[in-house]
Amino acid sequence: MIGKRTVTGRIGFALAILLLVSFSLLPFAQILSTSLKHQYDWGNPSLIPQTINLDAYKELLGLTEAKKVEIPAAIQKILNNPKLPQDKKDAIAAKYMSNDNLFPFGKYMLNSVIFSVGAATFSLVFSVMGAYSISRLRFKGQVIIQRSVLFVYMVGGVLLMVPLYQMAMNIGLASSLWGSAFCLFLIYIVQTLPVGMYMLGNYFRGIPFALEEAAMMDGCSRKEAIIKVVLPLSLPMLATVFIYCFIIGWNEYLFASVFLKQYPEFHTLPLALQELFVSKNAIWDRIMAASMLTLAPIVICFLFASRFMKGGKTDGGVKG
Amino acid sequence: MAAITLKNIIKSYDKTQVVKGIDLAIEDGEFVVLVGPSGCGKSTTLRMIAGLEQPTSGDIIIGERVVNDIEPQDRNIAMVFQNYALYPHKSVKENIVFALRRLKVDNQEIERRLSEISEMLQLEELLDRKPADLSGGQRQRVAMGRAIIREADVFLFDEPLSNLDSKLRSHMRTEIGKIHNKFGRTSVYVTHDQVEAMTLADKVVVLHDGYIAQSGTPMEIYLNPSNIFVAQFIGSPSMNIIEGTLFNDYLDIDGYHLPREQLSNVAYQASIPDSGLKVKVGIRPDFFNDKAFFSETDITFNFTNLTIDLIEPMGFDKEILFNLAGGSVKARLDLRSEIKRGGDIDLLVDLSRVLIFDYQTEQRL
Repeated sequence: MIGKRTVTGRIGFALAILLLVSFSLLPFAQILSTSLKHQYDWGNPSLIPQTINLDAYKELLGLTEAKKVEIPAAIQKILNNPKLPQDKKDAIAAKYMSNDNLFPFGKYMLNSVIFSVGAATFSLVFSVMGAYSISRLRFKGQVIIQRSVLFVYMVGGVLLMVPLYQMAMNIGLASSLWGSAFCLFLIYIVQTLPVGMYMLGNYFRGIPFALEEAAMMDGCSRKEAIIKVVLPLSLPMLATVFIYCFIIGWNEYLFASVFLKQYPEFHTLPLALQELFVSKNAIWDRIMAASMLTLAPIVICFLFASRFMKGGKTDGGVKG
Repeated sequence: MAAITLKNIIKSYDKTQVVKGIDLAIEDGEFVVLVGPSGCGKSTTLRMIAGLEQPTSGDIIIGERVVNDIEPQDRNIAMVFQNYALYPHKSVKENIVFALRRLKVDNQEIERRLSEISEMLQLEELLDRKPADLSGGQRQRVAMGRAIIREADVFLFDEPLSNLDSKLRSHMRTEIGKIHNKFGRTSVYVTHDQVEAMTLADKVVVLHDGYIAQSGTPMEIYLNPSNIFVAQFIGSPSMNIIEGTLFNDYLDIDGYHLPREQLSNVAYQASIPDSGLKVKVGIRPDFFNDKAFFSETDITFNFTNLTIDLIEPMGFDKEILFNLAGGSVKARLDLRSEIKRGGDIDLLVDLSRVLIFDYQTEQRL
């Protein structure tokens, strides 16, 4: 096939790509645009803000002084109603006057980083061990283990959420902050381990065993052979698995909402975002700015890791 | 430096026995070639010496130690793999010095050995490249360098040349011979190529179906094969096997009577029935000579009036095929013989080179 393309063919192809790319990028552009718009600009369908407004970001990152909050007129009217008992009035006033549930972005970000990086690190270490043993070692029940690991992945989180929480309650872990955090940690690891093992296992199988044998003949123990030969050759896949685990942990909402509900100071970003959406602070530019800031680490992480993801690392090692 | 002794080595995978009892003594500094067709257990034997496989039973002794339970890394053995097994993420230099770095040999010594080895193997230009950027022959040399630089007790070669083209192969074969002469380490070399076996070995061990069929110097194996398998496996073109009948005073091949007392290799002493004993006779194509250029003596036999079925000119040699005792027989003559297809020729054979094998067991008589 010569594959010579006509001009119309090329234009059509370019248009199709453009359509696809814009379809996937538009939501992000919308988030970015709205996060930068002034309140009066929200109704404007244009993606380009009339003036750039960075207040939302400044506020989230704690770069501005906390503002004195005014009670909205409609609420003031309710408060002025003489039939309402005084304690109800105080409660309502307090809800609208209080300023402390403004989004402490830095803290949530730190929580998210701790949970997702920590879980991803452990998950990666366990994945390496598990994947190596199912791909290289021969032992009884190997095939069953290999398959049942993936089975865990097929069961949706929603199904397991209640039983898992009950188990955590029964052994007393859910009653303390550290116990809950530990449970969540474990859940993230268990959730990401199957896919991590599956991906790494397949990758390890692609690395010729002769390379490890060569390392052993060169004086390495099996462990050393893994560390000095197998792992350096698996860097692209290690990076991929780490990012995969990291992203799962970073975006996870369901289990965090159950286990961390009572511990607001340990809320992760998705949890905090959800709270922000339903709170009185749900202002468009702020929501969008928070979303943008939640997205950013993943993008940065991915760009950083893509350096390691170049393929073809095992080329030239063996012949035939 | 170390001698290697294998004592009744057996290796089974599940229910199939691959190596069925091998006894072998390899002397210090000896170059031993294990040769045999694929599936004969030669690579498995080598890998058991390396420690990459565990023998099911039997002892492997290297130097003074029984090494059955010693890990490969502690056996002080260097190995060249069939597929080279270079570390793709390391440069040529780092590939070669990997073992020395691990042993924390000091840098000056590493550099000294590296420059010696890279000069010997002509690797100086390639030291900074990655294996992916090398040709097959260059990778092969790097793999050799990685093994040699260790100065290990024993060198193992697992079909190191089988991935090279024929020209490079014969070049590297010579290089391996030179390297062995220079370092004089105990070496075990596995190949299915009988030419490598003949040219490199101090001792050739022919393996067949998990057993040692014969072991000895290349010339012993070539001239005195103990059975038809070895006779046909070693030597190219391979030995002709012709059916014949042995009588008390002569050997009958298709009507030709070869006098018994001249067949010095026949040790058969039991009395032979008057009807004769059916045997298989082996004659190498190289041992036929054109009567036109060689003189008859009392130890030669003249096969007269053979009809030539086919001529294959090879340059210096020409191979001819003719019919004898119902089978096609090949003879290798030199370029002087002027012959044509369908013509007749007289061929002389040195009677001491005619080998007689038992018809059933195919063992030498």
